[in-house]
Amino acid sequence: MKNSRKLLNKEISLAASPLSWLFISFALMTFIPGYPILVGAFFACFGVFQSFQSGRENNDILYTVLLPVKKTDAVKAKYRFTVMIQMIFFIISALLTLLRMIFLNKAGPYVENPMMNANQAYLAYLLLVFALFNTLFLCGFFKTAYKFGRPFVSFIVVSFIFILAAEVLHHIPECQFLNDTDTLCNTTMWGILAAAMAVYILFTAVSCRIAMKRFDRVDM
Amino acid sequence: MEKILSVKNIKKEYPKFTLDNISFEIEEGKIMGLIGRNGAGKTTTIKSILNLIHTSGGEIEYFGKSLAEHESEIKQQIGYAGGAVDYYKKKKIKKIISVTRKFYSGWDDAEYRKYLELFELDEDKTPSELSEGMKVKLNLTVALSHGAKLLILDEPTSGLDPVSRDELLEVFKLLAGKGVAILFSTHITSDLDKCADSITYIRKGQLQFTGSMSDYIEQCRREGIGETLEEIMIHYEKEDLHEKFA
Repeated sequence: MKNSRKLLNKEISLAASPLSWLFISFALMTFIPGYPILVGAFFACFGVFQSFQSGRENNDILYTVLLPVKKTDAVKAKYRFTVMIQMIFFIISALLTLLRMIFLNKAGPYVENPMMNANQAYLAYLLLVFALFNTLFLCGFFKTAYKFGRPFVSFIVVSFIFILAAEVLHHIPECQFLNDTDTLCNTTMWGILAAAMAVYILFTAVSCRIAMKRFDRVDM
Repeated sequence: MEKILSVKNIKKEYPKFTLDNISFEIEEGKIMGLIGRNGAGKTTTIKSILNLIHTSGGEIEYFGKSLAEHESEIKQQIGYAGGAVDYYKKKKIKKIISVTRKFYSGWDDAEYRKYLELFELDEDKTPSELSEGMKVKLNLTVALSHGAKLLILDEPTSGLDPVSRDELLEVFKLLAGKGVAILFSTHITSDLDKCADSITYIRKGQLQFTGSMSDYIEQCRREGIGETLEEIMIHYEKEDLHEKFA
């Protein structure tokens, strides 16, 4: 077994808080009409944050760097675990969104929904909230590998501004298409999702590299 | 004899403390005590050689290889136990070990069982249910179970009862007999009398002495400084006290 898999196993078996798994269920919010469903992405990130909190209480980072791995592998392991949780959340949300787009695209509560609908734009927003978490929280945490208050507060502030902006955006006449329920064959919407996926990958990869450099400078 | 660890002129600067030009070497099968009073720089030295903190100068080599370039390979061959730090305090020891053992290619289950029995550790307990002394024993068990060629132990005997301490020192001697090198920091100098071949004495961040323990004691005895390590340490540390109040 490669070190990366062993470390992911360690994250899951020893460091992860049960809340990281439990909060994935907030993906079910995708079905709720008349509710700011994008908040579910915030809760998924909050679940991951709980694992960082539990990891700190249990000297997880010190334990990891004492294992026969490179010091910076500890950073990669945390990123892998976070991305895994985010991708499980995203896949569940994507399946539920497809259900809504295929079978419930004419359903009254969704068609008349004043809040955000689940479509490709919603999935794109989810990825952007995750990209914010990885950039602001994960990368910020590894400046010290101990203090997580400031990075998490900055994520809360920026993500809620982003969620608010996303909810406002589809009320602007030129952007109303972002909230359409019948967008299965809309290439623009698929393009938006692809662009968001690219942003997510880019931000996660770059922030991981920065976090590794930062953590390498940290005295334990 | 193979040189296991070579530390040359390591330096670490903090705003109010500097560890300066610390050098020492350990060969296979040898036990070295790292001594000094509280705050002298023992833990800083150990953290430096484990790459847990960044030194501002010096070289650290294990088995003739640089730690920076061969980190994971070297860590396979060293065991570290840092006193009573508890990891994953609400997880069962069994669970922690089942994850940890996968990282070590040289993990020996028979050795692990042997030390569990010797230290009377219950695998179904969690670290939070262990006393401070038992936590030290748990950390030692992990360090001793993967065929390490070098054990680096930070205050391994602190918190242990006299019988456990004696048992542990016996284990050190047995391991040294099998070629394992041991570096352990302590301020309980009587532990060293029982098993150490050499010492590295750090005083106020400076290297006071490194080399054969018996030679050092003999040298100090001739100079009228003291007959035992404890007397020698007290002599030097008291000098500081007298200087401060002069």
